[in-house]
Amino acid sequence: MRTRTYIFSLLAGASLLSCNKFLDVAPEDAVSDENSPVIIDKASAETAVRGLYRAVSADGYYGTTFQAIGYLSGDNIQWTGSQSIIQQFISHNVRADNASIANAWSAIYVAINRANHIIAKVPNVTDPLLTGALKNQFTGEGYFVRALAYFDLARTWGGVQITLTPTVTAGDKYNIRRSTLAQTYAQVLSDLVAADSLLPATTNRYRATRKTVWALRARYHLYQEQWAAAEDYAGRVIADSANYKLVQPYSAFFANGAVATSESVFELPYSTTYPNTHRNSWQPPANNGTRQWAPNDAFIALVNDPAVGGNRSALVARTSAGLWYGNLYYRPNPATDPSYVIRIAEEYLIRAEARAHLGNLSGALSDLNAVRSRAGLAPSEATTADDILLAIENERRLEFAFEPHRWFDLLRTKRAATVLGLTNSDRYVMPIPAAEILNDASLEQNHGY
Amino acid sequence: MKIAILWGIALLPLTTYAQDQNSNITLSGVVIDAQTKAPLAGATIHLKNTTHDGLTNDKGEFNFLTGQRLPVTFQVSYIGYKQAEITVNQRTGIVLALTAANTQLNDVVVVGYGTQQRKSLISSISKVNAGDIKDIPQAGVDAQLQGKAAGVQINSNTGTPGDGVFIRVRGATSINASNDPLYVVDGVFINNTSLQTVSTGGRATSPIADINPADIESIEVLKDASATAIYGSRGANGVVIITTKRGKYGMKPTVSFNTSHGWAWAPQLWDLTTGPEHATLVNEFYRNSLADATAAGDQAGITRYAREPFRPVADGGRGLPEEQQTYDRLRKLFRTGMLHNYNLALQGGTATNKYYIGAGFSRQEADIRHINFDRASLKINLDQKIGDKVQVGTSNSIYRTKRNQARAGDGPQGGLLQSALHTPTYLPEVNADGTPARWAGFDNLDVLINNYDVNTTSLRYVGNIYAEAEIIPNLKFRTSWSLDYNHYDESEYWNNLTQLGANPTNGLATSALTQNTTWINEQTLSYRTTVATDHTFGVLIGNTLQGNKQTTTAAQGTGFPSNAFKLISAAATRTSSQTSTKANLASFFGRVDYNYANKYFVEFSIRADGSSRFGSNHQFGYFPAIGGGWRLKEENFLKQSDLISDLKLRASYGITGNQNGITNFASKGLWSGGTGYPDNTAGSDQPGTYPQQLANPDLRWEKTSQVNVGADLGLFNDRIGIEVNLYQKNTTDALLQLPVNAISGFNNYYANAGEIRNRGYEVAINTYNIRNKHFTWQTSFNISGNDNKIISLPVPVTYYNRDWVRLQQGYSMYSFWLYKQLYVDPQTGAAVFEDVNKDGQITVADRQILGSAIPKFFGGINNNFTYRGFDLGLAFSFQYGNDVYNLNRFFGEGGGTRDANRVLFASQLNRWQKPGDITDVPRLTAYGNNYTLEQNSRFLEDGSFLKLSALTFGYTLPKDLIKRAGFQTVRLYFIGSNLLILKKYSGPDPEANVTAAQNVQGLDLGTPPQPRTVQFGINVTL
Repeated sequence: MRTRTYIFSLLAGASLLSCNKFLDVAPEDAVSDENSPVIIDKASAETAVRGLYRAVSADGYYGTTFQAIGYLSGDNIQWTGSQSIIQQFISHNVRADNASIANAWSAIYVAINRANHIIAKVPNVTDPLLTGALKNQFTGEGYFVRALAYFDLARTWGGVQITLTPTVTAGDKYNIRRSTLAQTYAQVLSDLVAADSLLPATTNRYRATRKTVWALRARYHLYQEQWAAAEDYAGRVIADSANYKLVQPYSAFFANGAVATSESVFELPYSTTYPNTHRNSWQPPANNGTRQWAPNDAFIALVNDPAVGGNRSALVARTSAGLWYGNLYYRPNPATDPSYVIRIAEEYLIRAEARAHLGNLSGALSDLNAVRSRAGLAPSEATTADDILLAIENERRLEFAFEPHRWFDLLRTKRAATVLGLTNSDRYVMPIPAAEILNDASLEQNHGY
Repeated sequence: MKIAILWGIALLPLTTYAQDQNSNITLSGVVIDAQTKAPLAGATIHLKNTTHDGLTNDKGEFNFLTGQRLPVTFQVSYIGYKQAEITVNQRTGIVLALTAANTQLNDVVVVGYGTQQRKSLISSISKVNAGDIKDIPQAGVDAQLQGKAAGVQINSNTGTPGDGVFIRVRGATSINASNDPLYVVDGVFINNTSLQTVSTGGRATSPIADINPADIESIEVLKDASATAIYGSRGANGVVIITTKRGKYGMKPTVSFNTSHGWAWAPQLWDLTTGPEHATLVNEFYRNSLADATAAGDQAGITRYAREPFRPVADGGRGLPEEQQTYDRLRKLFRTGMLHNYNLALQGGTATNKYYIGAGFSRQEADIRHINFDRASLKINLDQKIGDKVQVGTSNSIYRTKRNQARAGDGPQGGLLQSALHTPTYLPEVNADGTPARWAGFDNLDVLINNYDVNTTSLRYVGNIYAEAEIIPNLKFRTSWSLDYNHYDESEYWNNLTQLGANPTNGLATSALTQNTTWINEQTLSYRTTVATDHTFGVLIGNTLQGNKQTTTAAQGTGFPSNAFKLISAAATRTSSQTSTKANLASFFGRVDYNYANKYFVEFSIRADGSSRFGSNHQFGYFPAIGGGWRLKEENFLKQSDLISDLKLRASYGITGNQNGITNFASKGLWSGGTGYPDNTAGSDQPGTYPQQLANPDLRWEKTSQVNVGADLGLFNDRIGIEVNLYQKNTTDALLQLPVNAISGFNNYYANAGEIRNRGYEVAINTYNIRNKHFTWQTSFNISGNDNKIISLPVPVTYYNRDWVRLQQGYSMYSFWLYKQLYVDPQTGAAVFEDVNKDGQITVADRQILGSAIPKFFGGINNNFTYRGFDLGLAFSFQYGNDVYNLNRFFGEGGGTRDANRVLFASQLNRWQKPGDITDVPRLTAYGNNYTLEQNSRFLEDGSFLKLSALTFGYTLPKDLIKRAGFQTVRLYFIGSNLLILKKYSGPDPEANVTAAQNVQGLDLGTPPQPRTVQFGINVTL
């Protein structure tokens, strides 16, 4: 009896004593920021920055969904699948409970939160290995991504809620009202300026440099109709012809497995580990895709017209059964089609448009024709400023057919009513996701949704 | 723990009085069945007012050495017989006769950490004897329980054998923590969360299907708080205690063999349009859309719908409607599957040991090709007495289940049933050049049937070892170590003929190995005594330490040299991943019960659980319960009643917890890897990190308080037994993945938010209608209703594609969120929807909660007849008032909007065609809301059903006939399942559900219906 009691007390005592330790279990495939901050040295800063770019390349953002909002809402694409949420974009009747809208909205804010972590934390790291130059570079990359994110939010939804601090607890980001469109764009500019001052003027097509900032800034000023600035910044990138040039022919920037060509100012890479699912929506079942959406008949006619599409007809292909499909995103295995965020062709066309507005018609034509000539087309016959602007608009439709431009172009030039027949201006912005409205009392829905 | 020892020592003097006797005498005799006079082996004999217990040997004989003096009073008990108190005044040749019990009142019921007699039970527990269910052709014992236990709603969501089963004990209490009950097999808390990682279209396998039902002796479902609180944090959703068969001391070796064979097929399929019908409808859709486009001046629409697609081939069309063929793909996919079952068991014991060894094999083929389920099992239960005071033993089960799987659920790629059901019937199966044709994103059905290669092998060990010692009389100490280890090996191979593996992928293989290990160490100390005749006390204290670890290693390869190569090592491109997660639980529990003269009962229990999942301030949760009972039958005013043979009132209140189902690190702020990115164009991916999860240091236990009142009534010498329970469960601090506004950079975080209330009733009635020498007829009936309501939820949460399902404050769980189609305008054919906010347009604001998958009531009716050697059992189960959203019909009545991309159901032919048509199927057009407002209430259907879930007919050969051949019993039987179903639902199976996601129920899409089966079998013991 005594022995038994002794053994038993020992067992029980041991189990009580070790209880606290027993209940303290740490994860093995993640680290907890419970007791210590996560960005603390060079290694953790640079891994966090890479995580930031992976957010930009996520499915919901530049992987597929955000890009799709930009091109589906134009006039080049038809829906052939089973999910009518896609058709909503094409017929400009997007509902607030559209899942693509919700995905894109949250994917962009995920990138913003990651950027906020870097902007807030990297400057305070005290690791001798993390030099001042590196700190500046990482922080500058944070500012660049944040600028891109707010720019995309503004052109899709209008003025949005602005958050500039890392989220620590679930309640952090309530009671933030929507900023106006002007305020949102002001934030974009402020972040671009900050990035400009921090980033080195090197060349890196996968990550932001000062030149990437200039390229985005050109687009920003174009949207703001600040023509001189747009011309200036586009010109700075074009001027670096050693690094950025229109590759010949058009398909050279994507066909035959090309990546990171001189065409790309900012391109997002994918790999076996991080494949890009974008191709699945484009490629036909014969190529193991769903062909959820496809170029419409009007676009097929245009792109195959040698006088309009030129060698850009490489953008489309046809199955043995005669179905046309978009072929910009095609890489099967692994699915490593890059996402093209900024191409040098855009800088040419930005400068052309800015110059046309500034009255420099010959300069405008020369930039426009640079893009046309690369597509294997004769120089434009446009002469007046209006004609040139229209020619640029049409050029952009073909040049960026499957990239997120057409919809935004028609909105910023106030041509959506004429070209798309879309007169209800409520539809010029997307609805704020219904779930977000429910979840956040300070978030107001766009008018008409 | 030390307190326990003090308790033990304090009670010591009280119990020693019985031993200071002298002049021992020997008592000997036999225990027999009062009616048949057959000896009863293994009956328990207790000498009243002593601590002496004894068992009869295999001849029913006993021998007692006691210090008591004549006359002595024996208390004799035996399973299935009424306990008897018999006073004798002789030493030898004592004959103790027991009468068979009429009802379950004298049953021994397994409760948490012990057993009780049903008549002294004050908690609400449903007991199911394995014999009642073991032949029902379901792979898992959970599915077999349908209609057998009051308050337990069970739905098999698919005809795939061995797939997960929807089971709710007294309603769903939680949103993101698990709603499944805790399963305890011989004291082992077993895992019941699927380890599946490969996609089968949303459904998942059931770990409960690993268990061989043939090894099960009995199943108890613990429902109210006084029964479950001893399981603390594990008890909120009820506890299913499974007791497997063991040998008996003094039982001679008995071999039993059972085998059955049969067929399974789908009782009903879908009614589809023929090719010409499909073409006619699509042409009509184009015509109408063109008219609408013209009216709206929509140029793009005018172009798109300008020409009917089914026009002469010469005109560039697909041929005229009447030229279309019809291809019946369903007949190709559905089959009559075979069912085979073999079980062999050896059972017996000596005076000091007992054993049960069981082996089984069963194969179930689904009603569609090529889904199969095989299970092989081996069970070894051993118990050994060491002297009078100590007993050690072990339970061991080894299960191997092998599944041929297929994507029978959602998703086009590789979706087997969708390929057969959702491909338009006019589309041929081969292209003009003879190659297999693929349509509308679905794979070719023949290719799938011939090349499907998705297999899972689950190897599982569940077992424990225990030692039990009587330290001093009536004070028992028990310690046990348990293990549930599951090695789950999945492999998928899509060769280059299938869509998933076709060029350019060139073969896609996945291999995933998951290991789930749960170990448990448990100690209990229990003491029970009766003082001064009428005061009976019981005390139990114990502790448990439990650890769980789950790891998955997965690899994927694409780019195979040819279809001859199937292993990833041959693949050109290979990726891999590894996950690991771990959680610990430390628990302390105790229970005190007291009864006065078997008349007044009171019981108190408490459990403290500490979980590694919560922050250090919230790790421990305390779960108390109190219950009381009053057995009126023991009162003088009822004692003599002939009408009322038993009456007991019960009440209990307690709190249980829940932490299952949330991730192991739900409370922590986490940064994860897996977001690599190159540093420059020359480089490859370098490691990246990102904030993955928001911290919630306040995360704590979900708590459910439950009050239960009940009554047990026996009438006419217990020929009629009635049990009634009323309960209310309030869940607070519900564990929830609470949506957080997306601007935070997160979608949700784990929080305690929300309250859920369940309240309901359960009535169970058991009657012996006729009990003659040759003919018996017994009926059991149960009905339960549970009212589920979300009392508070900070924000509504939606689930599944298109947000079909929505949880919203004030409504029940599993509610559907839809636009309400009021009618189809007989003049225009336009679907008219309810404009809830009266703003003149139909927007998201007009979506409303319409219907729920929760039934108003459900239950079962079971009738058993025996006549001489014949036995007949009819088991019905029913469910009333639940809704099903018919997603198959949603696609099949798409109005032609999906043209060649989806099948059209025959019901589409009822569309509006001309003014005056009265129908609920709107005019075919791409315009307006007719077919574009997807979440249409038109597809919400009544899912009520009454079905004959099992019909058993058996014949036991006369004893004298078979005795000469050396058999003890030989029984031949037939069993049929789902032979009859009454339902309103238009699809084949109102229990179908496409997903294993716990908050989605009643979405019917692409799952095979539960089969109708017939089987013949033979059962032999020798």
